[in-house]
Amino acid sequence: MSTLLRMEFGKLLRLTSVRFGLIMLLVFPLLWAYAPGIFEVYGFFLVSAYQVPALSLLSSMQFLLPLLVAITAAELLGVELSNGTMPTVLLRPVTRPQWLAAKLLAIAAYPFMVMTVFLIASLLAGSFYGFGAFFGGTGLGESGLLGEGLMQPAAALGELLRAYAVAAIALIPIGLLSLLFTVIFMNAAGGALATLSTLIFMQLLIVFPAIEPFLLTTQLSAYNTPVNGLTWVVALILLYAALFAALSVVLFERKDF
Amino acid sequence: MSTPAIESVNLTKSYGGRPVVRDLSFQVNPGEVYALVGPNGAGKTTVIRLVSGLAFPTSGSVRLMGKDPHQHPSVRRSLGAVVEAPAAFYPYLTGRGNLRLHGNLASDVPDSRIDEVLRMMDLDRAADRKVGVYSLGMRQRLGVAAAMLTRPEVLILDEPASGMDPLSLHLVHSVLQQAAQAGAAVLISTHHLDEVVAYCTRVAILEEGALIDEVNLFDRRERFRAEVTDAPRAKAQLETAPFIRHVAVRGDDIVFIPATPDDVGRVSTSLAEVGVGVLEMSRDIFDLRAYYRDRVGSERARRTGAFPAPGPDGTSTRSTGSASTTASGHGTRSTGGGGRDGR
Repeated sequence: MSTLLRMEFGKLLRLTSVRFGLIMLLVFPLLWAYAPGIFEVYGFFLVSAYQVPALSLLSSMQFLLPLLVAITAAELLGVELSNGTMPTVLLRPVTRPQWLAAKLLAIAAYPFMVMTVFLIASLLAGSFYGFGAFFGGTGLGESGLLGEGLMQPAAALGELLRAYAVAAIALIPIGLLSLLFTVIFMNAAGGALATLSTLIFMQLLIVFPAIEPFLLTTQLSAYNTPVNGLTWVVALILLYAALFAALSVVLFERKDF
Repeated sequence: MSTPAIESVNLTKSYGGRPVVRDLSFQVNPGEVYALVGPNGAGKTTVIRLVSGLAFPTSGSVRLMGKDPHQHPSVRRSLGAVVEAPAAFYPYLTGRGNLRLHGNLASDVPDSRIDEVLRMMDLDRAADRKVGVYSLGMRQRLGVAAAMLTRPEVLILDEPASGMDPLSLHLVHSVLQQAAQAGAAVLISTHHLDEVVAYCTRVAILEEGALIDEVNLFDRRERFRAEVTDAPRAKAQLETAPFIRHVAVRGDDIVFIPATPDDVGRVSTSLAEVGVGVLEMSRDIFDLRAYYRDRVGSERARRTGAFPAPGPDGTSTRSTGSASTTASGHGTRSTGGGGRDGR
């Protein structure tokens, strides 16, 4: 299994979508850090580097980050299909669930890589404002960007880490859903497209208030959930992840290659 | 009798209700080279994928070393296979890197074995180049090297020599022959009829997913042909001779298999006793290409109900549409068409 995991992480880092995503993650926060019209549009000024990550996250979590994760997950399997390398590996004494499990783990780990890079890039982009204590909030705590007085760097960093970690967890089912669709269609473009279509469709389902709290798309805002409500939200997200992973394994097990 | 290394029993595969492999049964024993030949679309690649455990049969079963590869994935430790043409590798890794990866997945294959198979396939100088810059033939050779990596007991290769230059082609066939001599069971699909006839044990001819003929080339290599003055009488005489294992008439000639190669010289004497003269005698070179063309043509004619085009010797066959064996009942296993002897 360790050989398979090393293989999958090696492949992940070579994917075109990962390299493109890395550029986006590095460039995107710069827009917020140096946006000249931020006061006219949003009615506030940035005063600390710790506030840029919130703006980066708020503006990307509904589309850009799910898109990056979905395309990467689809590509991780799709590149094997287009290169024809999947049968080569499956002819070795490796079971299909083992092989897919290595991919599932790589895909589950990818949102954490994304969010780590995104957080660091956002902090660096805002370094112009400094990393000291500031009056206001990070935008990812309960007091928003206005805050409740002087905020210490450690507390600010804690809020950011928690929010980015929850955001990464919320992206895991998106990647696994994309892998599931790629297993179904045996095609990377089909897998990514089906995932994005599903997410867009789910976003429309907010017109049904009874199911809205349970929707996968609703969980994309989980990083704003107060600490005391996180357990239920994370459990729901992980339930989605487990469902998509299990379905992927079951369907993959019976595929003809 | 030992367990066959590869066994297919009534194997059938359908896609969307359309059968692409039909009721296919065959066995490959250790030390044999078994070739699947047939026109494009005959189902060769599907058979290779079914047998290697990459695809699931609609009905029937497959055994590798006596085990179902789906239920016992560990049986793939005995398997070396290439199911893509050209063989597929990670383009960003070197040839050596790809083999190391295969070695890690299979078991702990030492670097010395990787060097050995690279040398064997004449890839040692290109070993540290990325596979992305390999030519088609180099990829194919790397595929065979990967298949040979673990000294497998079963080798399954789909078109292992497609796109190769004559030297590489010869190299690949030599390696497969040596593997069989070392005891491996080799199953290949190929269009290189002239090459495989030199060393294959048996050839299965597929058409529309069905086995229409199985030719035992091992027996064919022991055959002799004699142009005689009276073929029917010569046949009658040799049928009673204890030093002749098999005899059949082909036009004005007789085709026979002596009990031992030394018995060939006794044929002229025996025939002279009944007044039959021998005008010429030689080893019977089996023209697999012509035979293949004729059998596939016959099968197609049988299906369409038309007479087939004349065979390469000007004869033609018309199938009865029922299962039959060759005229001699020896050397070939034919289904659904009219097999003929002595071709």
